[in-house]
Amino acid sequence: MKFYGATPPASKMMRPDNMPRTEPVTGNMQERMQSVRQNAGAWFSTVLTGAIAVWAFHGLQFNFSHLSTGIARQSSQLVHLFPLNRGDWFYDLALMRTLWDPLQATMQMAIVGTVVGALLAFPVSFAAARTGYFPRPISNLVKTLLNVARAVPTLVYALVAVSLVGLGSPAGASAIAFVTFISLGKLYAEGLESVAPGPIEAVRAAGGNSVQVFIFAMLPQVLPLYLSTMLYSLEYNIKDSFIVGIVGAGGLGFSLQNAINLYKWQDAGVIIFFLVVLVNLVDYISYRVRKSFS
Amino acid sequence: MTEVIAIENLTHSYQAKTPVLDGVTLSVARGEIVAVIGLSGAGKSTLLRCVNGLVKPTGGTCRVFDTDVAALSESGKRLLRRRIGMIFQEFNLVDRSSVLTNVLIGRLAYVPTLASCFHRFPAQDVALASACLAQVGLAGYEKRWARALSGGQKQRVAIARAMAQEAQLILADEATANLDARTKTKIMEIIQDVARQRQAAVLLSMHDIELARTYCTRIVGLRQGRITFDSPASEVSEADVDEVLRRNSAGEQDDET
Ligand SMILES: Nc1ncnc2c1ncn2[C@@H]1O[C@H](COP(=O)(O)OP(=O)(O)OP(=O)(O)O)[C@@H](O)[C@H]1O
Ligand SMILES: [Mg+2]
Repeated sequence: MKFYGATPPASKMMRPDNMPRTEPVTGNMQERMQSVRQNAGAWFSTVLTGAIAVWAFHGLQFNFSHLSTGIARQSSQLVHLFPLNRGDWFYDLALMRTLWDPLQATMQMAIVGTVVGALLAFPVSFAAARTGYFPRPISNLVKTLLNVARAVPTLVYALVAVSLVGLGSPAGASAIAFVTFISLGKLYAEGLESVAPGPIEAVRAAGGNSVQVFIFAMLPQVLPLYLSTMLYSLEYNIKDSFIVGIVGAGGLGFSLQNAINLYKWQDAGVIIFFLVVLVNLVDYISYRVRKSFS
Repeated sequence: MTEVIAIENLTHSYQAKTPVLDGVTLSVARGEIVAVIGLSGAGKSTLLRCVNGLVKPTGGTCRVFDTDVAALSESGKRLLRRRIGMIFQEFNLVDRSSVLTNVLIGRLAYVPTLASCFHRFPAQDVALASACLAQVGLAGYEKRWARALSGGQKQRVAIARAMAQEAQLILADEATANLDARTKTKIMEIIQDVARQRQAAVLLSMHDIELARTYCTRIVGLRQGRITFDSPASEVSEADVDEVLRRNSAGEQDDET
C-alpha cells in the first residue's frame, strides 16, 4: 500500500510512548509481580467460571431418559397444533371471529402500555439523571427505586394489577405501562446523562435559560434515542402483553390459557400463529420507523 | 467607561493542582482586538471561559461591562452572557439541528422562553441569522444539518452564531484554526469590522502570529498561566514570541503545526 500523506515529523516518530514496548527477560521486579498477579487473576476467573457452569448443569438434573417418551407424547399432540387437513372452514371462521377481539386487545395493551409508560418516564428521567436539573441525592434515590422496581418481573405486576383492576386487558395495560415506565425511565435518564456537553455550553454562553438548554441542546441529542427505545419497548411489550394475558389480564394470552385448559390444541396453534405474525409485523414496522430517523 | 474587560490577578486551578491561570491581569477596551498567544495548555481557553463565567476562577476578579462576573446571580449571568458572543474552540454546534437553528441559538436570550420552545423566532431574528451566515460565506446553508458540514464550515457556523448576538464583546477561541488562508483573512476582516463599526471589544486566542500581527491591536503572551508580554501588535518582537512559545516543560506541547 502506498502512503500518500506527509510523513510524520521525526520528533513525533521518536516519541518514546509510540515505540513498541520490548520487555527484557529480566524485567524489573514490580512488572514481574504485576504479570504474576494478572496470571493468577486469569486462572482464578477461569476456575470460577468452570465451577459455576458445573454447579448450574449439575443442579438442574437433566433427566434425558424421560426425553424419548416425552418427545413421542408431545409430538402426537404438537401435530394437533397445526390446523392442517381439517377441512372445517366454518369452525376456522368462527375461531377467527372469537380471536379477533383478543388479538386487538393484545395490541391495544401493548400500545397503550408503551405510550403511557413513555409519557410517565419522560419527566421522571429528569429526576433520575445526574444532569444538575435535580439535586444529586434525589436523582440517586429515584435511580435506586427504578433499579429495584426493574428487578421485579412483569408477571408479578400483572398479578397485582389483576387484583387491583380485575380480570381483563385494562389490568394488562396497566402492568405493561408500569414496566415500560420503569425501564424507559432508566434508559431515558442514561440518555440525558450521555448528552454531549458542548451544545449545552453554547446555549448557556449565549444567555439561554435551562428550559432553552433542554429544548435546543439536549432534546435534539436525545429525541432519536427516546423514540427508538420507545419502539423497542413496543416490540417487547407485544410479547409481554401475551404473557401477561396468561395470568388473566386479557388478550391472546388469556385465550391461549383457556384453549390449553380445554385441550383445544387447534385453537392454541392458531393463537400462537397469530402471535408470531403479530410480533414479526410489529418488529418490522418498528425497524423501518427507527431506520427512518436514525 | 471604555474598558469592557478588566481582569485583575486572576488565578484558577481545576483540581487543586498546579494553577492553570496564575495571576493574570489584563484589560480590553472598546474597539480593541486583543490576541492571546501561547502553547497548547497555556490556559488560553480557561482565560476566555472565565470572562463569560463558564469557568468560575478560584482567585482574583474579572469585571465585564463593569460588573463582577463571579458575584452575579444565574439570571444576572444570563443577561451578561447575551452581550458576549463566544466562539468555541470545539465549535459546540448541535449536530442534530439545522444550521439556521444553530445560528438562532445566538438570539435565544432575546426571545421569550415559551416562543423559543416552539422555535418561533421573530422574522428579523431569522433574517439576521441568515445575514450572519451569508457574511461567513454560508448563504443558502440554512436548512442543512450541522452534522453534515465540514470542519471549517462548522467553525463558520459557530462564528455566525456569535455574530448573531450582535454583542459588544466577542470571545473567540482559535476561531480561525480550521480555515484556509483566504477564509481566515475574511473572518478576521469581519471581526475587525465589528470592532471598528460597533466599537466592540474582541479577545481572541490564536496560534497564527502573523495573522495576529496583521489584524489585532494588541498581543498578549500567555505561558503556563502567566502573562509574559502585553504590547501593541506592531511592537511585538521575535524574542517575545520565542519566549512564549519556547517548549521545555512536560505539561505543554504545541499540537498545532
Ligand atoms: N475541564 C477541565 N478540567 C481539568 N483540567 C482542565 C480542564 N480544562 C482544561 N484543563 C487543563 O488546564 C490547562 C489549560 O487548558 P486550556 O484549555 O486553557 O489550554 P489552552 O491554552 O486553551 O490550550 P489549547 O491551545 O490546546 O487549546 C491544561 O493543562 C488542561 O489540561
Ligand atoms: Mg484552548
